[in-house]
Amino acid sequence: MSAQTSAPRARGVITSGTYLTAGVLVALAAIFSFLSSQMYAGTLSDGAYTAAYWYGTLLQVLLASVVITVALKIGLNQRVGVQWLLVGSGVASYALGDIVWTVLDLHMGLDPYPSVADVFYVLQYGFFVAALVLAVRSYKDLTPVRTPIMIAALVGLVLTAAVLMFLLVPYIFPAGTAELGFWGLVVSTFYPLGDVLLIFSPALALSLVIRQLGAGRLGWPWWIVVVGAFVFALTDTAYSYADWAGSGLTATLEMGWVVANLLFAIAALVARDAYRVR
Amino acid sequence: MATLRERVIAALTPYVGATVADTCVRGTALSIGKSADELNDSDLPALKSNVRRLLSPVAPSTVIDDLLAQIERGN
Repeated sequence: MSAQTSAPRARGVITSGTYLTAGVLVALAAIFSFLSSQMYAGTLSDGAYTAAYWYGTLLQVLLASVVITVALKIGLNQRVGVQWLLVGSGVASYALGDIVWTVLDLHMGLDPYPSVADVFYVLQYGFFVAALVLAVRSYKDLTPVRTPIMIAALVGLVLTAAVLMFLLVPYIFPAGTAELGFWGLVVSTFYPLGDVLLIFSPALALSLVIRQLGAGRLGWPWWIVVVGAFVFALTDTAYSYADWAGSGLTATLEMGWVVANLLFAIAALVARDAYRVR
Repeated sequence: MATLRERVIAALTPYVGATVADTCVRGTALSIGKSADELNDSDLPALKSNVRRLLSPVAPSTVIDDLLAQIERGN
């Protein structure tokens, strides 16, 4: 095959604007990582703690707005634009959940888990699974998708069994409504199962589908989405366990969600370049 | 002068990879009762229509229009 038909190198496709924007977002996330570690170490004054808390929340809003802006630029009359809008809506739901969580926890002194914030966090799963399923389906005429879906479903079932055996049955179910409350039990059951069935498995199916594109640039942004989905699922499942264990949130867990949404935002920026006409 | 098959693969490969690009050409050729190597410029309308159908769920129309123009120009 001639050089003309070779797959593109990232340097020729990804623009300097994308590198710069992604760099700024990574720097903002790194600042939050530092602030978060200080928050959990208890070294911040009340004012600084409040500012750092809101910084993390508003960072999620920024990440959501990046994805939604890219989706709108691609155009909602394009099927791929709708896929990215669903990803952006997922990140936006998370950001809305974070705003509610912040107000309840920081300004009202209420336990935010479970709370109205969970409505938005649960909505996020709906948006993500819709985006991932649409992305997989969009390749059905280009590449075989049945085998990737079957493999992902099988892995999903095995992981569901593992979540039941190692998390829900020994820890969450025995705690029951007495310890967790009704809604606490509902969301503590939903999150780990949703992470496996609605995030991890569809993301695995998507990775197996786009793997067949090799270095084709249409697959690049979805690879980043897949990694973000894996980070999100892992962080969420770890939180369910941490909540039961009584350790609650930690700086590392906080960063897990930030990194996941950061990856979704970077994926959208890469998509903008991958879809650009040369 | 590159064959139509080579032109299509050259245009599609940067976007969907060489394997899928080749599958795309073969699928189109089969749908009009030819092998990929037998495709010629008279098959261009059928090929363009098929490429548009296959790519429209995964790429914006601006990209597809540009790819089809590349295939037509042969560069």
